Amino acid sequence: MTAIAASIPPSWYLLLASAVFCIGLFGVLTRRSALYFLMSVELMMNAANINFVAFALYYGDLTGQVFALFVIALAAAEVAIGIGIILVLYRNFGTTDVTVPAEMRW
Amino acid sequence: MVETLPQVAALLPALVLAATGLALLLVDTISPDARSNTSMAIVSALGALGSLSVTVWFVASGTGSVDTGGAVTLFADAIKVDTLALFFIAIFASVTALVVVAAHDYFHDHDNPAAFYSLTLFAATGMSLLAVANSLAVVFVALEMVSLPSYVLVAYLKQDRGSVEAGLKYFLVGALSSAVFLFGISLVYAATGSLILADIASTSVEGLAGVLGVGVVMMIGGVAFKTASVPFHFWAPEAYEGAPAPVSAFLSSASKAAGFVVAFRVFTEAFPLRMAVSANVDWMLAFAVLAAVTMTLGNFAAAVQEEVKRMLAYSSIGHAGYALIGVAALTLDGPANGTVMGAAMAHLLVYGFMNTGAFLFVAMAERWGVGRTFADYAGLWRRAPVASVAMAVFMFSLAGLPPFAGFFSKYFLFQAAIDNGFLWLAALGAVNSVVSLYYYSRVVKALFLDDPEMSSALDAVDVRPTALYAAVVFAAVATMLLLPGFGPVIETAEAAASALF
Repeated sequence: MTAIAASIPPSWYLLLASAVFCIGLFGVLTRRSALYFLMSVELMMNAANINFVAFALYYGDLTGQVFALFVIALAAAEVAIGIGIILVLYRNFGTTDVTVPAEMRW
Repeated sequence: MVETLPQVAALLPALVLAATGLALLLVDTISPDARSNTSMAIVSALGALGSLSVTVWFVASGTGSVDTGGAVTLFADAIKVDTLALFFIAIFASVTALVVVAAHDYFHDHDNPAAFYSLTLFAATGMSLLAVANSLAVVFVALEMVSLPSYVLVAYLKQDRGSVEAGLKYFLVGALSSAVFLFGISLVYAATGSLILADIASTSVEGLAGVLGVGVVMMIGGVAFKTASVPFHFWAPEAYEGAPAPVSAFLSSASKAAGFVVAFRVFTEAFPLRMAVSANVDWMLAFAVLAAVTMTLGNFAAAVQEEVKRMLAYSSIGHAGYALIGVAALTLDGPANGTVMGAAMAHLLVYGFMNTGAFLFVAMAERWGVGRTFADYAGLWRRAPVASVAMAVFMFSLAGLPPFAGFFSKYFLFQAAIDNGFLWLAALGAVNSVVSLYYYSRVVKALFLDDPEMSSALDAVDVRPTALYAAVVFAAVATMLLLPGFGPVIETAEAAASALF
């Protein structure tokens, strides 16, 4: 298993991670629902995790793998805060559409 | 380091902040009836001041300075306590102390102020950790530790539509930019195979210089968000205007300085100038462009605002542009590299006091309910003479007029930039300072020269929020005292910055 993974050129992992990152970025820029926004940001962070894990294997260095675990925990914390903010958004504005709140000038 | 203490005691300033925050949270959780706004505010202020005094003691005793054996590194080089870190922790602790004292009056009728105090202290802990981070892993974890409480603090008034909207926008831009920053870190790791700053610098990147370059650009994006610089500055006017004013003060002074400590340490240590030039990853040029655009945009946008708080928000974008000169005006073997970065640090310290004070004056106006525009502030000095004089001090100091501390920090910054061959940046900064004088003096004119439209307009000023007054006056005194005290400050800052090169 490791032999197969190691035989894949590292540039393929970079391409995969960049593709996932761009899908997430596309979601952030096009979706209006705050919940889709959270999912898209999650994709972007997981794209970074792919890089960390893949290059930890490539360099034979555990730092990247351990940091990927940290990132997963932080992403969960960020979603928890985000859901809280989206909840008060819904209570005040009756919607989760991020383009609706425009009380202040942009 | 004082020899009798173990090495880990170098983290004491951050630990004091963390312990205070946890203690407040604990008391609030196990006996919610016992809490009182006053005791919570006193404990948080003591925690912040305790952290500040430990930091000042460390600086005075030379912990981590070049003269006394160099930086203290902990946890396999992931943490590095040096004078640069201690200098920034002093800024964070001072701003935190001012903000929690002011919050005592601002949230006087709020039903759960304990959450505010503990979140503020957790964010300050994150900032201190950011200042000592010597590994990109620690940088990211600490950055999130600053960001997550900050999102909640901005949306703290959850019945208030402006506060919620501001919190949402801050969160959206913040989550996006931290994902971009993280992806940048992952690309740097892909190119170098390490997250420790010094190891990244010592790795040769032949085939992967392109990957490294993209990673560095994405990390600049993350820094731009935290410092509220172009191109991630959109959140700042919204978040500062909608947030409770003490939170705006905290974010625009402390959180901004936290972004700069990342810029100062990570870019000079992980991607040193020699590597940046040889691998063609010219981040100094990127920062120079950002500095120029940021200060111009911030100052010109501030000039057309009608609301004081929003004007201060744009002015804080402008000041981010000035401080960015500290990482922009660097050249390989430049004679004034340490000087220009040290001057930027000194500017951030002075800015920490004068900008916090200005936002706390706005907090006082919000507490009275006198309104938000320049016109609403008309004639306020008749009812609040001391606070108005303090606000005038902040405004002139922010504009960089002599004899206030803001003049000296800007003067040293522009002078050092010229010494390093960046005359155009210094000239642009000077032009922007002239523009800024226009909108800062509008506040002073409103306070002292204008008459209120209705004579009853000032009747709102009926209470004397003592703690808020104390915080504003103390910030003004600090802004004045930094004038005679500027010598030691700039020397410490320059020595700390020079150790990076």
